[in-house]
Amino acid sequence: MSFKKFTENDVFSNTMRSYPKVDFFVFDGKTYYNNIPEQSGSRNAEVRNAPVGSISLYEFNIDRPYVATGTKVPLEGGPGAPTNFGRIAPWISKDSARSSFKTVGANAVGETAYNSEFQYGDILQGQYPLTASITREFVTGSRSATTGYPVNKEQRHFVALRNRLNFYSVRSLHYKVSSPYGNKDEQTLNMISVPSIFYGTKIEPGSVSLKWNFTGSMIAELRDLRENGELIQVSGAISSNDGKVAGVVMYDEGIILLTGSWNLSTTAIHLRDNTTAVNPSWLYFGVGANDGLNQSNLNTDYVSASYDINFKGHTETQVVTMFAHARRGEVNYSNNPTFLEHGQNHTEFTSSHVYEERPDIRIKNIVSSSFSDYSASFNRNVYVSRIGIYDKNKNLMGVATVSNPILKEEGQDYSFKLKLDI
Amino acid sequence: MPVQNFENLDTNTDVTTTRTLLHEVIPLTGTIISGAYSDANIKNYTHGMFQSVYDYPYLSSSANHIFDITAGYDETSILSASTSTQNTKKINLYNQYSQVLLGYTGSTTDGVRKFENDLTLDGTGAMKECFFFSFSRLLVKDQIKKGSFSLSLGTGSWATPFAGNVKVYQDISASATTNTNNTVGGDYGLLYLSGGANRVEGVVFYQAGIVVLSSSVWSGVSDFYSGSAFSYSPAETLVSASISGSADALRHRIQNLSFNNTTEINSKIYFCRVPHNKYNYSSNPTYTSGSKIRVKEVASDTPRAYITTVGLYNSQNELLATAKLSEPLMKDPSNELILRVRLDY
Repeated sequence: MSFKKFTENDVFSNTMRSYPKVDFFVFDGKTYYNNIPEQSGSRNAEVRNAPVGSISLYEFNIDRPYVATGTKVPLEGGPGAPTNFGRIAPWISKDSARSSFKTVGANAVGETAYNSEFQYGDILQGQYPLTASITREFVTGSRSATTGYPVNKEQRHFVALRNRLNFYSVRSLHYKVSSPYGNKDEQTLNMISVPSIFYGTKIEPGSVSLKWNFTGSMIAELRDLRENGELIQVSGAISSNDGKVAGVVMYDEGIILLTGSWNLSTTAIHLRDNTTAVNPSWLYFGVGANDGLNQSNLNTDYVSASYDINFKGHTETQVVTMFAHARRGEVNYSNNPTFLEHGQNHTEFTSSHVYEERPDIRIKNIVSSSFSDYSASFNRNVYVSRIGIYDKNKNLMGVATVSNPILKEEGQDYSFKLKLDI
Repeated sequence: MPVQNFENLDTNTDVTTTRTLLHEVIPLTGTIISGAYSDANIKNYTHGMFQSVYDYPYLSSSANHIFDITAGYDETSILSASTSTQNTKKINLYNQYSQVLLGYTGSTTDGVRKFENDLTLDGTGAMKECFFFSFSRLLVKDQIKKGSFSLSLGTGSWATPFAGNVKVYQDISASATTNTNNTVGGDYGLLYLSGGANRVEGVVFYQAGIVVLSSSVWSGVSDFYSGSAFSYSPAETLVSASISGSADALRHRIQNLSFNNTTEINSKIYFCRVPHNKYNYSSNPTYTSGSKIRVKEVASDTPRAYITTVGLYNSQNELLATAKLSEPLMKDPSNELILRVRLDY
């Protein structure tokens, strides 16, 4: 093994951008992500232990039921032993480092529970899976500063976006909370939240498409054609509405905010509750997307509606590229014991003061002969199987392994391109 | 970053490091290992040197690899013979595990150490016929938590392996500080038979995530591995069955397996001190309204600010990271704050 120093031109970093395609299809109270169907398990209702349309963060506990085994791990239990529920679960001991999960405790949340409900040495046990999916929120009622505080979580979630909406008004006045196009503090809003695990850094401007399907046909589509966040109706069964702006996309936050209240069809169905039928509009786009609405609290006619949400994500990955050069005449020896012929005595002389290796230790000839029963002429060849990356103090920082060992003859030059995503 | 006040961090008094151990409890029931999926979660290879176990049929993209099983014996074992099935592979596998995990003795003849039922590695108590579990890094993470491993094995008949005596093996004496031995393969502890009067029939390598189990666990069992035309004891299995056949037999007898894993989280803690006479004002555009400070009711009140973010800068005043508070923190000249910023990596 020999050390080679990277020169100025051997190491550089750049950014790799990718645009993952994301497709959500909402139908009958269920959300489907990238056309992945529901998967029922043989031991558990869902294979991934996550609802359809969700991403499971670590994808642990595949097809594992929750079982109260009544045992601990380790079996003898004790104060430092977590409970075995038949599933992989994270746990941590409360100690002086004060590390914790984001939420802990049964009777309170956050810091209060951590301080008041647990003693030092107690086990804080979490659960897998950790899942994420899109959520639709229907925001009604006045949220203006003059009429008091938000009264429900939907209103609070909107109010938290006020500053960002006003900030984006330089892109389009349609963002602005209060503008000639309406006052979002008073309007009924349809807010769809997309967790960032689906898109990365931001939703790619110009890629958003929302399709309202009714009885199997598309009755309207919204696109962000101008790449400024405005969602413009581009095709609809009632063509007089084409060109109208039905809402905005907050690309960085992953929020789609819809305000378009015009009718998309003249046929009314139950999209809000089970008593009053309403005409399809953008305010009811995505009904059933984790908003608690389904056939049991609406009417069976709502299944004639389905919704498509398409966009591209935007991810940026920093990549360090390193070139490791194996020049001719270099990297031609190995410390691997099998590099030398078997059965040789390696030491010439040893004593309490001297350790001397033999100068004529033979290297195993690994040159392949083209003829049977004939040994090829000796050539000093090595097979490069891995490359170690060291810091300036010669601490091993990483290892790159090639898919197959590379034969390097003494007269050959090789350059290995190593890429490291950071 | 509206406020651009900088406070220098003293690396001696304001910065410290800490290490947190995050664990996961890993239970693997025998139904996952044998039975639930009719072996669709078991992958055998043409090389026949080991068998992979998944937590779901491996042709599904949902499946996770959880561990590999193989078997082998030392060349000095009484089972070693040229007539034994896959004899060379079984010897090579034993030697590979022992070389990687235990290293070598000073002997020039058979210089490879053998697995032993103690921590001394003095050549006594050798376990020469063994089964090997090699757990996935997905489950082991940094290491298996010492003292948490347990393995329940059925020693009944082939038809009802758990109806008779179920043996439970645990590394019950091992802890973070005692009763392990450090070798080239990392720390290892002994697997004691519960209620077995200090009987050791296996070892667990914590950092490597490898468990070595002696075939003597099933001594006296005549149908350790059975089929329509054969019935093998453990020794006959290792001699006459292939490695994958031996792995099948072992899986059939695993009732439960559990351990806790460990992930080390290294943290750097910055104590950001906010003096009483600083950070009482904000240059945030929303801080003032009509030339008045928005968060003050009375003009004669002391200035007041709400801290939401702490920025960490390098010596060139370049922003490296920001820390967000869970809720804004009120600051006025009457109070001083120390914000504890933890950076995990």
